[in-house]
Amino acid sequence: MAQNGRVRVAVDAMGGDYAPEEVVKGAVLAAQRDDVEIFLVGSTDILERELAKCKFSANGSSIHIVEASEVIKENESPVDVIRQKSNCSVAVAAKMVKSGEADALVSAGSSAAAAVSAIQFMGMLDGISRPAIVGSLGSFAPGTVMVDLGANADCKPQHFLTFAIVGSVYAKKFLGISNPKIGLLNTGSEETKGSEIGREAYSLLKNSGLNFVGNIEGNDILNGKANVIVCSGFVGNVLLKFYESIAGHAKDWTTNKLKKYPPLNVLVKLLFDGLFPATKISGESEKRGGGILWGVDGVAKIAHGASRAPQIANAIESAKEAVKAEVVESLKSELAKFNQGG
Amino acid sequence: MTVEEQIREIVARITHVDKGIITRESTFKDIKADSLDIVQALVAVEETFEIEIPDEEAQKFKNFGDFVSYVEDRVAQEGKV
Repeated sequence: MAQNGRVRVAVDAMGGDYAPEEVVKGAVLAAQRDDVEIFLVGSTDILERELAKCKFSANGSSIHIVEASEVIKENESPVDVIRQKSNCSVAVAAKMVKSGEADALVSAGSSAAAAVSAIQFMGMLDGISRPAIVGSLGSFAPGTVMVDLGANADCKPQHFLTFAIVGSVYAKKFLGISNPKIGLLNTGSEETKGSEIGREAYSLLKNSGLNFVGNIEGNDILNGKANVIVCSGFVGNVLLKFYESIAGHAKDWTTNKLKKYPPLNVLVKLLFDGLFPATKISGESEKRGGGILWGVDGVAKIAHGASRAPQIANAIESAKEAVKAEVVESLKSELAKFNQGG
Repeated sequence: MTVEEQIREIVARITHVDKGIITRESTFKDIKADSLDIVQALVAVEETFEIEIPDEEAQKFKNFGDFVSYVEDRVAQEGKV
């Protein structure tokens, strides 16, 4: 942390569907409402112009500009490009965390580029084979988290073991569950179900010493059968977006069905805007501004690509909270226990 | 342990394969290494031997043997063994 006690957040200002404009606006919003020091990483000329539009100057404020000359183009593979363009904004932001110039990285750019930058420049924790995104399922299943939510589209069996360890730490630290039940998302509950990778993952989890309860089917996700649901990033990401979309679609569908009875619209609004648990999922997701990339040696926050200024500000705030909560130190400590067989 | 043995151990650990199956002729595809595995392996080798492997050089590696030969040359040049 900075000497003044502020958390320093390096923001990939060029990453995201609405970058740099919305990212800069989000940084300004965060700086106005929160006690953080923000480093906007990207083209100095562009970022100065964007800050000026917000009537904000980097001089003497809590927002600083860090030059990163290279840009990842849409048609470039983020995995390859990070090694070729080590001065692109997300790579420079990751290097700042590694060097201690920043405490956290926030990026709304390509998740793969952020993951590669974090792996390459921040490094992996001992015992972790792949970084993963963990998320709580919120009100429908308050005691359940899912891993991975999108950092790893293709997974090997050993990656699922990493996801289980990371999810277990998350459930202990943030949900207060002392011995989290781990479930492997599959198409059936029997050990022999699913793909070859799934069956190998099952075997590894069964012999891991973790509290593995076996395969979890889709209809068990919300019933608390497992506290940590392990799946590939491909499956997790599809499932999360579907889950977050339920409330909006259910509200539209119900409103349409009941349009002949206008008095009931008040009830529909109350139900879906206030009470329906899935509404809160989207709300909570937006409030968090994305997920933390767990398993790398530092706080890396991956915001949704479509983030606008409020979501960027939330991601910065959430990154600050993760630094203050010492989530990386917690994971290191739990990994050490796990690696020693505890 | 030789440079080749060290690199073989690193690649086997990262790709989760038995090191016995990695020969000098093995390609990354043969051992089912994806792009993130390759990045992790390059980073780990760079850290182990305290060298930097430029991406344009890494892209020339056709198989494990090319990777090892490159690192052996660099290590010898820089007097690290």
